Amino acid sequence: MQLLYRGNAAAFEVIYDRHADAAFSLAYRMCGQRALAEDVVQEAFLSLWRSGARYDHNRGSVRTWTLGIVHNRAIDALRKRSVRERGIVDSEGIEERIPARERTEVEFARKDEAREIRDALEKLPEEQSRVIQLAYFGGLTHVQIASMLDMPVGTIKGRMRLGLAKMRMTLGDPAEVLQ
Amino acid sequence: MSEKDLNRMSSDCGEDAAPYVLGALTDEEHEAFLVHLESCAVCRDEVAALSGVASVLPAAVPQLSAPEDIKRRVMSTVRSEAGLRGAGQSAPEPRRRAASPRWGWRAALVPAGALAAAVIAIILIGSGGSGSSGSRVIQAQVTAPRASVSVKLDGGHAELNVAKMPQSPPNHVYEVWVKRNGAPQPTDALFTVSSAGNATVGVPGNVSGVKQILVTAEPTGGSKVPTSTPVIVANVS
Repeated sequence: MQLLYRGNAAAFEVIYDRHADAAFSLAYRMCGQRALAEDVVQEAFLSLWRSGARYDHNRGSVRTWTLGIVHNRAIDALRKRSVRERGIVDSEGIEERIPARERTEVEFARKDEAREIRDALEKLPEEQSRVIQLAYFGGLTHVQIASMLDMPVGTIKGRMRLGLAKMRMTLGDPAEVLQ
Repeated sequence: MSEKDLNRMSSDCGEDAAPYVLGALTDEEHEAFLVHLESCAVCRDEVAALSGVASVLPAAVPQLSAPEDIKRRVMSTVRSEAGLRGAGQSAPEPRRRAASPRWGWRAALVPAGALAAAVIAIILIGSGGSGSSGSRVIQAQVTAPRASVSVKLDGGHAELNVAKMPQSPPNHVYEVWVKRNGAPQPTDALFTVSSAGNATVGVPGNVSGVKQILVTAEPTGGSKVPTSTPVIVANVS
């Protein structure tokens, strides 16, 4: 990261190679369209390149930081479009599947961790899992979710909070899961 | 502490932490919550407790491979801007270093077949383009139907934001040129556009005194002189 601070393109390329697949996977899951996901990833990495000096290792791994930028960019892209226009995509609905490369033991370890996280999400009561997925992957605000589900805003917030708290209990300290 | 904060403390403090870490607050709520966090230990603790869970949610999605095109576009811009910072060229890959210092790495950036039609964008930048008094955005004229190009000038740095541009022809890339007086001078900025026709490209070097920025489609690896007619022109003076 020190090299990135100094604008070293080779250092940036290493970071890109390590995290591009995860970034694209998240963007694609959120956007549901390959072209839009590509734009989100491109803009996110250029943003990361231009803001490398703002990375604070005390607040998480480079991966977490990178995926946070991708998430924010995807939300921006999604909120520029109407709910009807973009649709809500779930992981079952992805048609243009592009299998990830399987390269290293690290990636196999990540697969185990990913399964753990998916299991924790799937074990939540349906109503909690749904609001978390609509918010995080759908890019919807709690107000939009409340409107969509015809429920009070407070109920939606409560379900988000309960769901995340239960996942935290299941996963232990998730901050260490994907370092 | 504001009345709003007091109300929040007494009734719903901590309630916004979950939508905050999930990115589900509206823009206005997000800004207000950030301010609130500065003075509320309850919400800070709640955010700290929940943010770790939110940060691992990306791992729950099916893992895909990022298309190579993205890397090509990103690294093209990164290398251009690294030149601006006076870094990045210090550790090029050997095969790039082996080529000519001025043009060599560019050939490695874009694989054969990546680029298309000769497109020349001319963005005229006024003599005041150094941008020392702040940033400004200039709209360029684009001959390609539905395409648009804006140029952001900030502190002597220029960045092109390209939208809905056609793909360049096979074996060609887009190339950025700058023109002060006389013939356009080539830059190291080569790029392709996304499938939606979008790209963000930094113009290498300081654009103080530059009157025009040109973008042309050139054979892969770039050209030393433009080989096609401008198709985008922006007059900003």
